[in-house]
Amino acid sequence: MSKIFTPIKAKILEIIDETPTIKTFVLKPEEEFNFLAGQFAALTCFGIGEGFFTPSSSPYDKEKVEFTIMKVGRVTSGLFNLKKGDFVGLRGPFGKPYPLNKFEGREVFIVGGGVGMAPLRSLFLALLHDLPKYKKVYIRYGARTPKDLVYKSSLFEWQKIENVDVELTVDVGDEGWQGKVGVVTILLDEIPCDVNTACAVVCGPPLMMKFTLQKLLEKGFHEDNIYLSMEKNMSCAVGMCGHCRLGKYFICQDGPVLTYKEIKDIEDPFI
Amino acid sequence: MIFVLDEISLRNLFHQWLLNYKIFIPELSNGQKIPNLALLDKEKLEKFSTTVFLNIRTSEPLKAVFSLPKEKVAIFNDKEEKEGKEDKEEKKNLVIGAKVCDLRPLAVLKKMYLEKNFVLEEFREKLENTLIISADCPFPQESCFCNLVGLKPYAEKEVDGIIADLNLSFIDNKILIEVFTKKGEDLLKDRIGVKLEEADKEILEKQKAIRKKAEDYLRKINEKDLAENISEKILVAKEKFWGELLKTCVECFGCLYICPTCFCFLLGDFFVENHYERIKFWDTCYHPMYARVAGGLNPRAEFYKRGRNRFHCKFANFYLEYNFYACSGCGRCFHVCMGKIDIRKILLSL
Repeated sequence: MSKIFTPIKAKILEIIDETPTIKTFVLKPEEEFNFLAGQFAALTCFGIGEGFFTPSSSPYDKEKVEFTIMKVGRVTSGLFNLKKGDFVGLRGPFGKPYPLNKFEGREVFIVGGGVGMAPLRSLFLALLHDLPKYKKVYIRYGARTPKDLVYKSSLFEWQKIENVDVELTVDVGDEGWQGKVGVVTILLDEIPCDVNTACAVVCGPPLMMKFTLQKLLEKGFHEDNIYLSMEKNMSCAVGMCGHCRLGKYFICQDGPVLTYKEIKDIEDPFI
Repeated sequence: MIFVLDEISLRNLFHQWLLNYKIFIPELSNGQKIPNLALLDKEKLEKFSTTVFLNIRTSEPLKAVFSLPKEKVAIFNDKEEKEGKEDKEEKKNLVIGAKVCDLRPLAVLKKMYLEKNFVLEEFREKLENTLIISADCPFPQESCFCNLVGLKPYAEKEVDGIIADLNLSFIDNKILIEVFTKKGEDLLKDRIGVKLEEADKEILEKQKAIRKKAEDYLRKINEKDLAENISEKILVAKEKFWGELLKTCVECFGCLYICPTCFCFLLGDFFVENHYERIKFWDTCYHPMYARVAGGLNPRAEFYKRGRNRFHCKFANFYLEYNFYACSGCGRCFHVCMGKIDIRKILLSL
C-alpha cells in the first residue's frame, strides 16, 4: 500500500459557522501534522472522498489545525454533515509554502476574495508571529455581502495591530454595514505601499483573481512579486495523477501558489 | 552474452519458468492479427508457438501489468476496527515478448511514479518484482511509428532508463537470447536439459539484416520526420489547428485508455465490509469532468482544449523535461479510433 495515499485520522474539535455557506473545521490530528503557510492538505470525508484545502490556522499552532471550507460540491457537502467529535482523514501537507523569507524586510500586500481569505489567514498569522521582520502588512478583503465576510471578529482585531493595515469591502451592503461597497478592486485604487519592492499575495474566486491581477500590474507591482493561489482539480496531490496540470506545472507540486511571472504565458490560467 | 537455441528448448525454458513465475505473454486467437496480452499456463504452453513473437505489440498496453487499471492503494478506517488486508502477489511476474514500444511507456511511468518527490509503492513493487524479456519487432505494421519518436523496432540494452533482462530475436527457426542484466543471466540458470550455445558471427549478421529490414520498412511508411522543434510548435498551435484535426473525435476516450504512456489516474474511496479502500483507476484527460473543479468551473470545457492538453503533455511538457516523448509510436490510439484520427498526421502537420 502507498503510505502517501493513506490518511491519518483527525478529530473535529469544533465547527465554527463563518457564513451561511462557509464553516471552519477545527481539527486535532491523531499523528503529527506540521505544515507551512500556503501548503495544502487532503481531507477525507469517510465514505465520500477527498477534497483539497489549505489550512487557515497558524502553522505555529501545534495543538490543532483549522480548515475554512465553503460548501460547493460532493465532499464539502459531506463535511458539512459532520459534527463535533466526528473524524475526518488528513493527508499532507503538500505543495510549496509561501516564500516568507522573500517577504522579509518588505511590505506584504494581501488581497482576498470570499473564502479565498482562508489560506491568507494562515499566511497572515505566520507573518504576525514575526511581524517585526516585515516592513508592513496590508490586508484588502472583499466579500459579496457583510454576511459573507469570514473571520469577522478577527478582521476587526487585526485592524488595531500596529504595522497592519486592513481594509474591507462588500459587493452589496446592508443596513448595518458602515464600510466600503464595491468589488475588491476598489480597494486597490490607492496603493499605499512601494510597488517596486512590495509583494502582493492574492487568493479568491477566478474572476476576482483575474481583475485583481490586472489592477496590481497596472499599479506597478513586479510580475515576480505577485503571488497567486491557483485552484485546480486534484486527485493524488503528489504530482502523479495529472489532474492539476497547468501548462508545464503540476499545481500540487509546483504550486499551489505561483508568481504571475511563472504563469503569464498560459492561456486563461484562472479557470 | 548472446545465446542461440531452438524453439523446443525455448518452450522447455518456459516450462521451467512457469513453476516460479506468473508469465505474461502475447497470445493470438483465431483470425486475430494482433495478439492479446495473456497469462501463460501449462495447457496454453502445449500449443504455444514462438511465431506469436513475430507480431507487433499486444492489443493491451504492457503498462497494465505494472499499473493495474483498477488497483487498491490504501486501506483505512474511521473507527478502531481492524483494517482490511493488503493484496499480496505470491509469484514474481515474468513478461515475455515485450516490444520497445511497451518499454518506453514504463520509462514514462517510472519518471512520474518513482522519480519525482513521492513514490507509488504499488508500481515500485511491480517494477522490482517483474522480469522483462523483450523481443525484436521484425514486421512493423502501417500503424507503427516508433522511428518517429526516436525508437528502434528492437531493444538495445537501455530504453530511456528501462532495461529488459533478456531480449529475443528470431532468425529462421533459431532464437537468439541476449542477456542484458544479472537477473536475466540468473533466469537462464533454470534450464535443466536446455543447452545454450553462443551465437556465431553468421547468425548475428542475419539478426542485423532482419533488424535493418524492419527499420527500412518503418522509414518507408514514416518517411517524413517530426519537426525538430515540435515541442515549441505544439505549444503555440492555435484553437483552429486542434479543432480541425480532432473534428472526427467522438470522445470515446479509447485512445487514452489504450495508450501505454498515459499515466493519469483518479482515486476513489469505497466502503468494504468494515473499512475503506482507496482505489486508483486509470483516467483520461479527454473526459469533460477531468479538470472540472467543485462548483462547476472547468478550465477545459471545450474539447479542443482537452485535445491540446493531451498533445502538450506527451510531446511538449514531458519532452522538455525529460528529453524523450511520452509516446512510443505503438499506434494503438489509431487502431482503436472510431474517427480514424492518426496522431502522425497531427504531428506532421505542425
